[in-house]
Amino acid sequence: MLNVNNIYKNFGDLQVLKGVSIQIKEGEVVAVIGASGSGKSTLLRCMNLLETPTFGEVWQNEELLTPVDPYLHPEVIMASNTYKKLIATGMAPGEAIAKIKAEDLLNEKFSVAEGKEYKKAMKKIYDEHHIDINLARQEMGMVFQQFNLFNNKSVLENITLAPMKTRAKKMLEEGKSKKEVKAYFDEKAMALLNRIGLEEKANAYPSTLSGGQKQRIAIVRALAMNPDVMLFDEPTSALDPEMVGEVLDLMKELAKEGMTMVVVTHEMGFAREVADRVVFMHEGVIAEEGTPDEIFNHPKHPKLQQFLKSIL
Amino acid sequence: MYIIKMFEDMGKIFVKYWDLFLIKGLSATILLSLMTVALGTVFGALLALIKIGKIKPLKWIVNAIVEIIRGTPMLLQLYISTFLIPVIIPAMNQLENKKLLCISFTLVMNSAAYVSEIIRSGIEAVDKGQTEAARSLGLNGTTTMIQIVLPQAVKNILPALGNEFITIIKETSLASTFYVGELMTQYHIIVGRTHNSLPILMIIGIIYFVLNFVLSKALGFFERRMKARA
Repeated sequence: MLNVNNIYKNFGDLQVLKGVSIQIKEGEVVAVIGASGSGKSTLLRCMNLLETPTFGEVWQNEELLTPVDPYLHPEVIMASNTYKKLIATGMAPGEAIAKIKAEDLLNEKFSVAEGKEYKKAMKKIYDEHHIDINLARQEMGMVFQQFNLFNNKSVLENITLAPMKTRAKKMLEEGKSKKEVKAYFDEKAMALLNRIGLEEKANAYPSTLSGGQKQRIAIVRALAMNPDVMLFDEPTSALDPEMVGEVLDLMKELAKEGMTMVVVTHEMGFAREVADRVVFMHEGVIAEEGTPDEIFNHPKHPKLQQFLKSIL
Repeated sequence: MYIIKMFEDMGKIFVKYWDLFLIKGLSATILLSLMTVALGTVFGALLALIKIGKIKPLKWIVNAIVEIIRGTPMLLQLYISTFLIPVIIPAMNQLENKKLLCISFTLVMNSAAYVSEIIRSGIEAVDKGQTEAARSLGLNGTTTMIQIVLPQAVKNILPALGNEFITIIKETSLASTFYVGELMTQYHIIVGRTHNSLPILMIIGIIYFVLNFVLSKALGFFERRMKARA
């Protein structure tokens, strides 16, 4: 469903992600844990391209969200002049590809002026698979640590804004009137609010709500787009302790309903109980991954053992 | 004794020249300021859009213009434009009020430069999380700007824009160097008749003060109301 392929992310001189690959399957709940600064939030933000990876690719099903990374496609490398030169020196094809890949991240300018065929091969992949990022994001919900409800919109408007601006077009083309469309999305939003028991807050503004209420509304705001996958970026870290429960309960419900979820979290209890797979990140790489039982009861990586000891 | 006489003169001069000159000067000052702020805001918004936009060469040009305007005295700009613009556009010389046009243009550009900074910083002061949340839902940049960022930026921008209005009202007095009819020009005219500077200066000072005081109180009122609603 979501396929992160060997991504690197640099902020200036700081390398935050150093070659991370992860596949998210449909219906899977993946918890990402790790110390702060390990790159787990950056990884999540790369998944919907709020951060653009420096190298590497992010795929949503068969669609490419990032620019083409030539080093991930042997056919592109084989079309390059450098490859041809290496072959001419008598190097074996496999060896030449391996050599070029090894040099890619060391020398960013390596691929400049690799010739027409190389560009053509890259363009072919791009044209075949690349999708407008706005369309891709409509299928991916995201929940932030700081809630980020729209301050200038009421709770109801917060939920209906994105569907009205994106999904409504199709309904209008099908001959429905603007009023009908608005009524449809309002009703859907009210159903979502009903689900989290905040119907009476529909016309309130975010500044009047508690943190827990804000975050639950932020979650249903993302759900209103009927996303295929939900990304959670430390959804309970900014909450008062007594409000953590209500947000986690809602997330557990979603997991039970079969929603695909990627959750960056410090809530080890949640990860242990709900996640199908737990990923431990350390210094920009995935240091260990496995089932909750493997990660929490039989950690292998010394840094993971140390991390678990420090937080439990 | 001199002070008492001055107050007497102020009264006399005010009664004699209010209808004749001062009211004209006051309306000219208000009109000139209103026009400057209105057009300055429109151009300032355009400049701000370029500044936060992605077209690098345009950005450089706009930044350079803004820095030059902010880094030189307004009086100098007024002088330069009254000489330079007719040279660049010779057709201007045929016009009766070419001086006023040149001065209006300079005031507007000057105001636009400051307003563009106000608008840019107002937009950039909106929490980045708001943009990220909108984009993460699949909204495009334009919709995000119109629906989420600008409505919140307006709350940062309006109070500063009010202050800019007050500054402009005072700065139009510089245009009196070129006799365009606003309050300070009326001073020159009246003093030419009475040969008594101080009372007239005091009267005009009071007019400026009352104008700006009322305006700043009104702005404060709107600001409080806006905050109460947020």
